[in-house]
Amino acid sequence: MAIIFERYHIETKDAVLKNKFPSKFIVKRYNNCLNVQECTQACIYDVHKRKDDGQVNEPNSDFCRGCHLCTLVCPKNGLVLQINPDFETVGDSYFTPDRMKTISFEAETGRVPVSGTGYKGLFAGKGFDGMWFDFSEIVRPTRDGIHGREYISTSVDLGRKLPYLRFNASGILHSQIPQSIEIPLPMILDTPCPLANVDSLRLAVVKAALKLKTFAIVKADEYSTGLIPYASNIIPRLPGKYVETFQHLIRISPIIEIEIQNKDKIVDLLEQIKIYNQNVLVSVHLPYDEKSAEQALILTESGVDILHFFLPDDICIQDPERIVTSIRLVHTALVDAGVRDEITFISGGGIAEAAHVPKSIILGADAVSIGRAYHIALGCKTCYGGNHPFDCPLPTEAEESKIVSQRIINLIGAWRDQLLEVLGGMGLREVRRQRGEQGRTLFYKELEEKIFGGNQ
Amino acid sequence: MRQNVQFQLPDIKIMPSKYPNIIKKYEVILNRTKCIGCGECMTTCPEYIGSTPLDYEAFQKPEGFLRIVHPTSFCLGPTCQRCINVCPTNALSVTLNPQYRMLGDLRWTSDIISSTWKQAETGTIAPRYDYRIGRSEGGFDKLRFDFELVNEEQPDGMSSNEETIDTSLVLNKSDDGRQKITIPIPVYGGDMSFGSVSLNVMLARACAAQAWNSFTSTGEGGYPDELIPYKDHVITQVATGHFGVNAETIKRARIIVLKYAQGAKPGLGGHLLADKNTPDVAFIRDVVPSISLFSPFPFHNVYSVEDHYRHVQLMRDINPRALISVKVSTPTDIDMVAIGSYYAGAHILQIDGGYGGTGAAPDIAKKNIAMPIEYAIPIVHNYLTNEGVRDNITIMASGGIRTAYDVAKAIALGADGAVIGTAELIALGCKRCENCERGRGCPSGIATTDQILAHAIDPNWGSQRIINLYRSWKNQWDYILTKLGLESINELRPNNIVKFKQGFFNHLIHLDYRR
Repeated sequence: MAIIFERYHIETKDAVLKNKFPSKFIVKRYNNCLNVQECTQACIYDVHKRKDDGQVNEPNSDFCRGCHLCTLVCPKNGLVLQINPDFETVGDSYFTPDRMKTISFEAETGRVPVSGTGYKGLFAGKGFDGMWFDFSEIVRPTRDGIHGREYISTSVDLGRKLPYLRFNASGILHSQIPQSIEIPLPMILDTPCPLANVDSLRLAVVKAALKLKTFAIVKADEYSTGLIPYASNIIPRLPGKYVETFQHLIRISPIIEIEIQNKDKIVDLLEQIKIYNQNVLVSVHLPYDEKSAEQALILTESGVDILHFFLPDDICIQDPERIVTSIRLVHTALVDAGVRDEITFISGGGIAEAAHVPKSIILGADAVSIGRAYHIALGCKTCYGGNHPFDCPLPTEAEESKIVSQRIINLIGAWRDQLLEVLGGMGLREVRRQRGEQGRTLFYKELEEKIFGGNQ
Repeated sequence: MRQNVQFQLPDIKIMPSKYPNIIKKYEVILNRTKCIGCGECMTTCPEYIGSTPLDYEAFQKPEGFLRIVHPTSFCLGPTCQRCINVCPTNALSVTLNPQYRMLGDLRWTSDIISSTWKQAETGTIAPRYDYRIGRSEGGFDKLRFDFELVNEEQPDGMSSNEETIDTSLVLNKSDDGRQKITIPIPVYGGDMSFGSVSLNVMLARACAAQAWNSFTSTGEGGYPDELIPYKDHVITQVATGHFGVNAETIKRARIIVLKYAQGAKPGLGGHLLADKNTPDVAFIRDVVPSISLFSPFPFHNVYSVEDHYRHVQLMRDINPRALISVKVSTPTDIDMVAIGSYYAGAHILQIDGGYGGTGAAPDIAKKNIAMPIEYAIPIVHNYLTNEGVRDNITIMASGGIRTAYDVAKAIALGADGAVIGTAELIALGCKRCENCERGRGCPSGIATTDQILAHAIDPNWGSQRIINLYRSWKNQWDYILTKLGLESINELRPNNIVKFKQGFFNHLIHLDYRR
């Protein structure tokens, strides 16, 4: 049997939205300009390009990169550089304007954001901001500049694994190997924004998942017939009590996700699902709370294949620390019970930048589900349903499903490249090895306490 | 404890900015509909110098408000209020200049940048700026010297008696017979390659290093011939790409630095994007122009501590008189790396914290990989003290050290000195706009290799700016040491284990843990 090896590659290309993200800087010209064109000569980004006849033109702030030079050289001191007020008002305290701009850049170009000068932000912060990756100082030959990253694997397995194999007396494998599905990157796409409820958006997301060879979650009641050709990349999400209603979806899907109300019935539910489709993997979708640890253990016991915990965006904004403690809680409970390797744990929520993917994984998740971040890539204004803007760009942009798909692909491609940077820096050759490596993480609170916090 | 002959401090010369305008902290807005043009505000302003009347008409905005800005005046802000009080029609208001607000960032605040410019210009600090700390809410920004929390009005000026204060640092603490290099201030210049910065910037830094009898470094981009006149003050860097490194340049230097990792992008190697690889750069680096250059990570002849030992010994053999510096970043096991480097024969250990500067690095690496320098210094210091070898190796801290106070705090946490990169570039006019890597490079002519842009920096002007900056820093260290009752900066470095008790350690206070 010939095995054809195919290298996983995400093809990125420019994808520009109709509604451009507001530029960060804005240059204003006072009307004492004498058109001496000092600014035109100083600016290397063509912000101050004059009209063809040499007349003064309004500065083109879209090109401005905030170097202050024009304002310094103007002999009349007639220019002022400011942060664009439109830029400052996007987003919120968690999805900050800068994070949204970065997501927008990654979605537009598919490139890794690279810049000069050092880090500019807060020393540390809550949640993911209070973590640093360790790296390998001298040893570990995983990479060579940019070269060598093609040897780093980002594949993860969804499904159960056995703790050990059993063989009978004659040496024949006795254990039944459970089904599992390998995806080439530790990210799946969560449901599209419920407020932008259009078929074209779902189709675009699912097409992106197909290209990325990963999965997109679609709510069962929104699963239109147009999506059926893509069933192999879709995880339908359905409430536990409607398993019978949606049995046609269970039959065509490799994985389904159920939301359960009464967890005592989970074993019965699983039996019922297996009647419709023997091979389907069952994921359970539930929010993080204080009982997450015991829920995780009960569900693992009852035979669920995948645990998909999530933290709603509004809780994450109020308390960014929650996502870190929640992932650690579930992971540690599974490790303590000795069942961590038997089950797949997907974490969702709090993912606002590329670094949050490896940070979720290092805290203990096998993979992450990406929701709000890709909505932002498509133009979401983070209303969270509070005051949904009538001009929400998501449905209108969705009509150009090619661009929408490409932006999701670009975003995930850029994030995978950055995941590779982190893995390369840490000296890890695959992302599976990064899961739960909390010893290779530096926590702000622990370091701060260790160095500055002595009390004796 | 005087080590050597009295070092003659280089003179301060006023080196004004190249630009006609400065970015002012406050601006005065005039409501045209109310102004009667009496001119009272101009006569009462304590900062307004010059006889030309303000260009009122020119600043006419459609809304009818004028921005009163004059190149030579500097508004003192809300503390002054004289013009507002004197105005008969209440037509004036003072606000924070929106452009000043967007200058800089949380680590390098607009105040630190402006005060660094001021120090580079005049060699003295301007008390109107908060020149000591930034707003990053952690690390150095949460640490204070105990005297800082006591009310004190006297600004760090020239008042302290510099004759009795010793800020010199001996770089070779081992007894291996190599030269005892002493620098008069506990800092030297960081590694910046030809390619990441222009030749003029390298010359300015080398010239300033010569004036201070200190050092600057070639970075990893080779050793341009123009630097040979300053060879006693230029460190040759041997990095993983080995660009332009050969026996000749290694033999030329008094200090050789082996760069294992860089704080801004630890574990990732270096990048020089194709646009900045001009024919000149390519010639010195022995490469083909206009292709992106990547230096690998790590050294492919160093995969163990034994390899590291051989690597250091190789350098010692090639240049039998030079000191060897090992530049590493800050992983969790930085203490192990430090002790390994000590036993490998390094004279200087440079630890480069995660928040250091770079010519180009992925944003994810700058923020998220490796620990900040504030934690790494005590960890290394304590470990080496416990091992009993602390006094045999020099520890230089770098990566996120912005001001004289940061240097002093780093020393109080256990380092011997600091390596300064970004602050020198700020003195040359850097505005931290983070455009060093793309296209032609830096619009201000610093981090660029473009022929035209690079002319923006005059080496003589630049070197005097850096000299001025360090003169001001020297005064601040003198002031700190006087306040603490110490005579030498070496006394500031703790001899024992760094251990904070209720937020206090020696002269340092951590605001979050203070009881």
